[in-house]
Amino acid sequence: METWKEFDQNIITHSAAHHLMAIDDLVGKLGYARVSDIARQLDITRGSVSISLKPMKEAGLVLQDENRHLRLSDKGQRLVNAVKNKRLLIQRLLSELLGVSEQQAEIDACKMEHLTSNATARRLVAFFRFIDSHEQPAGEFLATWQAHDRGSDEKPESCPTGENKCAADNVPEA
Amino acid sequence: MENSVSKLSTEEIAQELNRAFAEEVEAATRYLHLRSAVRGLDRVIVDRVLKDAFHETIEHAENIAQKIRSLGHVPKLDIRVNCPNEPLSGREALRQALIFEEEALECYQDLLKKVEGDVPLEEFVRSQIALEYEHVAQLKELLVE
Repeated sequence: METWKEFDQNIITHSAAHHLMAIDDLVGKLGYARVSDIARQLDITRGSVSISLKPMKEAGLVLQDENRHLRLSDKGQRLVNAVKNKRLLIQRLLSELLGVSEQQAEIDACKMEHLTSNATARRLVAFFRFIDSHEQPAGEFLATWQAHDRGSDEKPESCPTGENKCAADNVPEA
Repeated sequence: MENSVSKLSTEEIAQELNRAFAEEVEAATRYLHLRSAVRGLDRVIVDRVLKDAFHETIEHAENIAQKIRSLGHVPKLDIRVNCPNEPLSGREALRQALIFEEEALECYQDLLKKVEGDVPLEEFVRSQIALEYEHVAQLKELLVE
């Protein structure tokens, strides 16, 4: 399958991920989540929340009791846990390793968290196990990367594209 | 600015009314979409209902905007509507309409608790509740199997 088509095959949309995480967050804080609470948290209308929740209820991700209080099913909770972990991993990768500002890393991680595959997330976990191991090679790896990063602007000939033009030239600075 | 009767300040009341304004405008947009998404013979049955509901919802939104202006504020609108390009049966369109109409009704019911003591505002919210209640009842009646 072409990669771009995978976006449509994704189990949840960006919006759905935020609805599910809002429920998780509210249940953690208040012990319950109502449509009105989710609407306030996400700064959208109640109508919009209710319409968005309909397919999530049908998919068995969200459960509603007789008081119209919402909670995540086991399946929904597993999905939220996975998305949250992916967000943290991507955020760490962007800010700690690549030097992206924490704010920008959070924004970009939010965009990628629900689209990243479990396989990629598991490789990121393995990578951070190495980084956090405090073994000498991990420290050396980080130090080498940081030293290279500081001086990389001075060597445009070592551009990763290896073609006529440096990749950085095609990506304007913010 | 302090509001002498209600528990909320005028600023907070305007904020709450802005939420109701967004509910109504969004509902109107959804009605517009639902009306165009219903296919086949069902159109004959539900088109009029959805069209009337669209116009009534716009009227509700105008009433709220007027109320916000009367408090000395300018209505704020922040909505994000995403309606898929999938055909709908008449029943499904009415089911969706019932979902957001029930939310609008609850929005006014919550607002009523907050503006307790401010008689003119209470009366306004009560009249909106009555209208929304009618909408919900009509939709439920149409959805009876």
